Amino acid sequence: MSAIRVDGLTKSYGQLLALSDLSFEVEEGEVFGFLGPNGAGKSTTINVLLDFIRPTAGRVEVLGLDAQAHSRTIRSRTGVLPEGVETYDRLTARQHLEFAIESKGADDDPLALLERVGLEDAIDKKAGGFSKGMSQRLMLAMALVGEPDLLILDEPSTGLDPNGAREMREIVREENARGATVFFSSHIMEQVEAVCDRVGILREGEMVAIDTVAGLRESVGDGTTLRVTVDRIDDDALEAVRSLPDVSSATAEDGDPPTLVVGVDGSKTAVLSELEEHGVEVRDFSTREASLEDVFQSYTADGGTEVHAR
Amino acid sequence: MSADTGTETDAAAAGETTAPSSSINPDSVRAVARKDFQDAVRSWLFWGLSVFFFTLLVTITGVVSYFGEDIAQAGATTEALVVFVSEITRLVIPLIALILGWKAIAGERERGSIKILLSLPHSRKDVLLGKLIGRSAVLSISLVVGFVLAAIVVAALLGTFDVTDYVGLLAMSILYGVAYTSIAVALSSLTRSTTIAGAAMVGVFVLFYIVWNAIMQAIGLLMNFGYLSGEEYEFELDGETMTNERLPDWAYFIESIDPGYAYNNALSIVTGAAETELGVALEEAMFDGSIPFYLQDWFSFVVLLFWIVTPIAVALYRFDRVDL
Repeated sequence: MSAIRVDGLTKSYGQLLALSDLSFEVEEGEVFGFLGPNGAGKSTTINVLLDFIRPTAGRVEVLGLDAQAHSRTIRSRTGVLPEGVETYDRLTARQHLEFAIESKGADDDPLALLERVGLEDAIDKKAGGFSKGMSQRLMLAMALVGEPDLLILDEPSTGLDPNGAREMREIVREENARGATVFFSSHIMEQVEAVCDRVGILREGEMVAIDTVAGLRESVGDGTTLRVTVDRIDDDALEAVRSLPDVSSATAEDGDPPTLVVGVDGSKTAVLSELEEHGVEVRDFSTREASLEDVFQSYTADGGTEVHAR
Repeated sequence: MSADTGTETDAAAAGETTAPSSSINPDSVRAVARKDFQDAVRSWLFWGLSVFFFTLLVTITGVVSYFGEDIAQAGATTEALVVFVSEITRLVIPLIALILGWKAIAGERERGSIKILLSLPHSRKDVLLGKLIGRSAVLSISLVVGFVLAAIVVAALLGTFDVTDYVGLLAMSILYGVAYTSIAVALSSLTRSTTIAGAAMVGVFVLFYIVWNAIMQAIGLLMNFGYLSGEEYEFELDGETMTNERLPDWAYFIESIDPGYAYNNALSIVTGAAETELGVALEEAMFDGSIPFYLQDWFSFVVLLFWIVTPIAVALYRFDRVDL
């Protein structure tokens, strides 16, 4: 059974189409990274999963239940970290957790939950004085109440420092090991690639890629990015490099000294010798494996320049 | 489970935006109400309100005991207190209820914290009812605290003290406050902007305190200028029979459904105050001995219940059907 099944989901606000015929599935027990730039429709999708908004068309099932007809049951088995939300200023961390525990009919210990997110020292402090990162930790602790079957985390790293983001990923792994499915949205690839089994990339309300992390990495081929520091930029030389068989892209970056960025699948020396043949002096060069960030960029950047074949 | 999968995708494909009606779970309502109460009870507003009621009651008591020797002799001190206080609370309780309630839902939507509430297994109806109960509890407790503290001072100053009248005033004040809380929470659920919600609160206040009076005056003027036909009645005062004209029945009906009017009127059920024998006699004469149901005291009670039930009922229906 799928933990989440989205089928032909469309959501429009008047003329504005937020989601367009979106379909995907999240398997039970996996960590799914839901990736896309801000405004791509990630939160809209999550809002439909939780019945905060109603679809214009399409069908959504969560934990095998219709997302609208059985929302209460779904939410009783789901832990949610919502995005862009303020906690209750006048309530303490403990009161926040007690509310979540009472609401879910669970018997968790507020202190134990806060220890997991590293907020135990603030248990009796009012949330009004919390930093963004502390609020985020508190809401993560609330999401963990009652050992949910599904965790929906909307931009969980917001406001967290790198250390906090790492701890958050650690919790995601622990929860997944316990058996929970994790649905995790982010606009930063780096945060999802370390923990996610599969990644879906959303762009302007449509899923443009969905694959395992390894599969996505493969889609860039064994491509390498070659950065060459040169003494000057020569258009003829650039053109010649572009026409090499193994080169997929070549762009010049102004600077002092200028740099050429070349996407290359095979021999790097061919690129370097081509440049020298055109009288361009190569001062330095470095190579970098294509990262998932590049994949993400290629799928979501405007115009989608130099996109590798899917 | 089988019922869940029964709904086929055809319905969704047809493009209908289904809006299921959510259920009500008493445990959820209680959880939301308790959280809301905890949250609101820590605000300066709550303490400000209690202090305000305390000061109001003590001040009026002081005035009554200072100037009120005649009243005291008439043995109606608490009744006098009830009449004075109720005239002021009639104006003040709505203000406080509207201030306490205007952000109840709109504020949570604006801050996004409604997503915390609704990520947990609460229905939208649970949230509305919990909010109404939570906010009503805050208002009621601040009334109780203020009244009880003042009762001590009142008893000390006046010597005589009629608990029944006093408790009656408190009970009706709570009922009246809950009615306005229901109006406030309901209006707050219709918008996600606290600015619009605030404007709606002002609108309600203006409606019942300015527009309603203006309507009654306008009807009176129309009658005086002969555009409306009133009803003639005879009235006996000091042995002389006078003929007078009163507003048509429906005008009294309009007046009777104003919650403030109902509050003052219903006080006489519980306190025996607020209604003079002359007033009752006049009313009987105006309606030829048979006072219409909507001017009877029990109807005022119904009006207050109406203002509690109707706004929240409309909100319960509508709030299930919106995108947050």
